[in-house]
Amino acid sequence: MPPTTIYLAPPRRALEAPSAAVVHDLARLFGRSAALAGVSLEVEPGRCIAFTGPNGAGKTTLLRVLATLLRPTYGSAAVDGLDVTTHATQVRERVAFLSHATGLYGDLTARENLRFAATMLDLPAEEARDRIPEVLDAVGLHAAADRRVSVFSAGMRRRLALGRTILGRPSVVLLDEPHAALDADGMQLVARLLAGWKAVGVTTLVASHHAELLGDVADGSVDLANGLVTQITGEGVRGVVGTGATSRSPDLQPALGTEAG
Amino acid sequence: MGRDFAVALALARKDGLAELRGRVATGTTLFFGAIVLLLFGFALGPDATRLAQAAPGLLWLAIVFAGLLAVGRLTDAETEDGALEQLALYPVSRHALYAGKAIAGFAAMLVLGAVLLPVVALLYRVDVAAAAAPLVLTLLLGAAGFAAVATCYAALTVRMRSREVLLPLLVLPVVAPLLLAAVKATTVSLAGDPFGELGAWLGLLAAFDVLMLIAGAATYRFALED
Repeated sequence: MPPTTIYLAPPRRALEAPSAAVVHDLARLFGRSAALAGVSLEVEPGRCIAFTGPNGAGKTTLLRVLATLLRPTYGSAAVDGLDVTTHATQVRERVAFLSHATGLYGDLTARENLRFAATMLDLPAEEARDRIPEVLDAVGLHAAADRRVSVFSAGMRRRLALGRTILGRPSVVLLDEPHAALDADGMQLVARLLAGWKAVGVTTLVASHHAELLGDVADGSVDLANGLVTQITGEGVRGVVGTGATSRSPDLQPALGTEAG
Repeated sequence: MGRDFAVALALARKDGLAELRGRVATGTTLFFGAIVLLLFGFALGPDATRLAQAAPGLLWLAIVFAGLLAVGRLTDAETEDGALEQLALYPVSRHALYAGKAIAGFAAMLVLGAVLLPVVALLYRVDVAAAAAPLVLTLLLGAAGFAAVATCYAALTVRMRSREVLLPLLVLPVVAPLLLAAVKATTVSLAGDPFGELGAWLGLLAAFDVLMLIAGAATYRFALED
């Protein structure tokens, strides 16, 4: 059973820009189909923002662009003032992204997976040695630390992936459907992590079909549909609702299935 | 530079650990390589002279065929539950990631060579012990060049549907000069290098390695990024 309160260490790099994340007229095409069609948003540092919307709304694509996994087709995206295309490595130093896949190695134990991540995240050896047991404890995997991940359930793998996210002490956390595959305890763990990150000033952007699971932690919410922002509520985020300059561009009309005009 | 080295070593170590725990990158490919050599032997017949003459070429063909499987599987391990994507998310140089996977591929190739060389000696009745030093050097250079090429192509094709067919089609033409030089170096090593050619063939192998490592490091990022 994970602890009821999680005290997270502050991020390794404090955000320096006035906005944690900025996307400007962002469009992302896959072939002739537009996953994002001109989204403009600005998120304040230290906020927890929920991204909601039906399947295919563009939530995952938006997070993947901010995580540097996808390049914008049009427009721009930046984290802490750093463009995701031209300053990708610096962005990766600040961002942690947890997608549907956990990115864990089944042949390694939970502890070994975290050790590998610590090296990749350039954590000092002493810090890694001290923090890995703490992280395993925090995500309720202390007893399974030396078991191979291949025997873990989907929920345990998810917990370990959340543990890896904690380990890197990121400034911005991007979570794509963090409640997927988790049991009631796991969902509480996500809630405690979100509260913990907020307490230490980490910005969290959460794509979820179940925004109600985020509870009071979410400062604001952005609804997306068909690659466009349909509504912005709450605090900590502002942007353009509806079509932006990019989505009015004749270049994008075939992808949106509309005529330029 | 020190950071890149640590990243490459951690990645190669991770692959080694997974391999020791029952991955099949080397285990089954070793068996495959040995079977290939055995079947080539059957196809050539019992003529001892013919077998000995064909031994260098068949050894390297077996190493290349088995190596394609081994390096391909090392990369396949990264597709498990989005591991390759997670690697791309780490704030590390793409050159270091390439180096790590190439070191793991190189190690797998060395294991293949170390096992298949005695198999060749046994099946084709060639005296590898007498030419051990030049053969080891040839194996080191050949394994490095092959790992440099195959690691890059394995990553570039990892998400493609017809990957199993595509990987050999892409790698084999590129490693043709390596195959030629490695076979020649092995042949002259086994013959005692009567005309002093060994240095030139090893030099060609070394030049190929350097060229392919540079090309691989420059292109590996395309396998990780959109």
